[in-house]
Amino acid sequence: MTLVEFKETIVIAIDAMKGNKLRSLLASLGVVIGISTVILMGWVLTGLQSAMDETFRMIGVDILYIDKWDWAGGKNWKLARQRKDITFEQADLMMERLANAELIFPTARDWGGSIKHENLIFNGITIIGTTSNHGLTSAGETIEGRYFTQFEESIHSKVVVLGHKVYTTIFPDGNALNQTIKINGHKFLVIGVIRKQGTMFFDFIDNQVFIPVGSFVSMYGRHNRSISIGIKAGSEEMLDEVREEARGIMRSIRNVSPEAEDDFSINETKAFENQVATLKLYVWGIGIGMTILSFIVGIIGIMNIMFVSVTERTKEIGIRMAIGAKRRSILFQFIVESSTLCFVGAIISLIICSGITFAVATILPKFVEEAGFLTPYLPFQLLLIASIVSIFVGILSGIIPAIRASNLNPIDALRFE
Amino acid sequence: MNDKKLIIDIENISKLYHMGVETVYALRDITLQIHENEYVAIMGPSGSGKSTLMNILGCLDTPTGGKYLFGGEDVSVMDDDDLADIRNRKIGFVFQTFNLLARATAIKNVELPLVYSGRPSSQRHETAKKALIDVGLEDRITHKPNELSGGQRQRVAIARALVTNPSIILADEPTGNLDSKTGEEIIALFRDLWHKGNTIILVTHEEEIARHANRIIRLRDGLIERDELNQKAG
Repeated sequence: MTLVEFKETIVIAIDAMKGNKLRSLLASLGVVIGISTVILMGWVLTGLQSAMDETFRMIGVDILYIDKWDWAGGKNWKLARQRKDITFEQADLMMERLANAELIFPTARDWGGSIKHENLIFNGITIIGTTSNHGLTSAGETIEGRYFTQFEESIHSKVVVLGHKVYTTIFPDGNALNQTIKINGHKFLVIGVIRKQGTMFFDFIDNQVFIPVGSFVSMYGRHNRSISIGIKAGSEEMLDEVREEARGIMRSIRNVSPEAEDDFSINETKAFENQVATLKLYVWGIGIGMTILSFIVGIIGIMNIMFVSVTERTKEIGIRMAIGAKRRSILFQFIVESSTLCFVGAIISLIICSGITFAVATILPKFVEEAGFLTPYLPFQLLLIASIVSIFVGILSGIIPAIRASNLNPIDALRFE
Repeated sequence: MNDKKLIIDIENISKLYHMGVETVYALRDITLQIHENEYVAIMGPSGSGKSTLMNILGCLDTPTGGKYLFGGEDVSVMDDDDLADIRNRKIGFVFQTFNLLARATAIKNVELPLVYSGRPSSQRHETAKKALIDVGLEDRITHKPNELSGGQRQRVAIARALVTNPSIILADEPTGNLDSKTGEEIIALFRDLWHKGNTIILVTHEEEIARHANRIIRLRDGLIERDELNQKAG
């Protein structure tokens, strides 16, 4: 096979397609659908992944939460329910003893809080009582105002830092700072707003408000509540060391006997990653099923067209053989033809998908805020994958007709009318 | 008998087909030599084996027995690819039904053998153009077969046969699909090519066509019935 022949074969393939435009278009429809499925699915998952990574990055990948509950939920939930609450006293002891962590802060949560500002009421808010240390983590970064200080914490000041969603809901026109809001009927002064962190599956993160832990206790009391202890390891490398240190201290505080399992959980953002991985697996599973199905239809369609093409052009094959085409040249000609057909299908899908992704990513978030993670363009590696897959499918669907063509006897082929 | 270069040297070749339980001999023990610049007409009624002989001579088919040397190379033992190569470089085919690619222009048709021998496109174009001029079609270069008359189509086919400068031109009933006047023009073209030094083998059943050749081989029932020089050729 010479380069000249290769170039010429592609010209022949394109020529043959031009000769049968409608037929070629219909034949590649299956491939168009298959590739579009792959591209769109990849697009959604890529968007999801980067949005998630972004959220994890903002929460902090080096943050641990020692908790009665396990974030992974599921089968551990029953077990966790039987555990004793983590008390404020235990949290204080932990804060005293833990040496290697960069920051440590207790977080007391109350779900189902209600926030009122003028006539706007926002229910189902998580009220979190914590210390100023939380404001030093990336989860406590403010875009407006500031976090509360150690001093405000010590005097149980009635100040509040709003999560982003809370802010946008009860202050639709901005200007939250120095406004007074009511949390479950208690007046609080808004001093800061946290940067938006949530995406699609984690928007609850933005449905929180932060108040000094002392103010929390005066509202809700010290008991009947399990405290979660937040620990910032300082870096990902320190994570293991800090985790083990915290585990040891916690076991000793809670008098866990050496052979017993932990009666608490150490949660990390990884727990979410596992959940999301499962979700992604479902999406891929359905997507791959659909893709395989449409590719099978596509391959059969193209194979069929190629068989028709070989039969129609038996005489041409005979002529080519008579004037010196080797069997592999004929084989190659038909494989190139089916690959070109599929490749054109891929280009059509790319054009269609670019349109769809642009339209969806531009329009959908205006109605559904959760769709904000979608990008208006296709990631480059998807284009590459689509092209390679299409050529592979082309080879797959062209090989049998091509073998049939190349195995023709030149004399019989020439005689074919 | 001839001091010119030997091109085709066939010794005792036979070809048999199995039709169910029956074995049919298409050719039996043919021995034949063709030298450079001969103009050979192969004649015979249908079923005489002339098509089979022509296919074997053209390296489209291999004999069941015997030996076939083409330009000194033993083609009776070659595989498909080597045969394709011989056809590409050494043999120019002209068929009764022209056998042009319908979608390609005259020049693209003529270029085709050069594609399979791997010549770059600039060279191809020049060579093919020259071949078309040689057959008198300089003003039909970009026409497609359906825009050409029968005689013009056959000229394109002849240009395609000549373009690789082959050792032999093998023509199978080249005037069979043409009216007699156009047929005569094509035969005249063959005569010119012969005079220019080409070797031509022409298969026909028409005496009128065969009499232009300088050697006539008559086949019957797979055997050479007569092989004689034709002094009247010219």
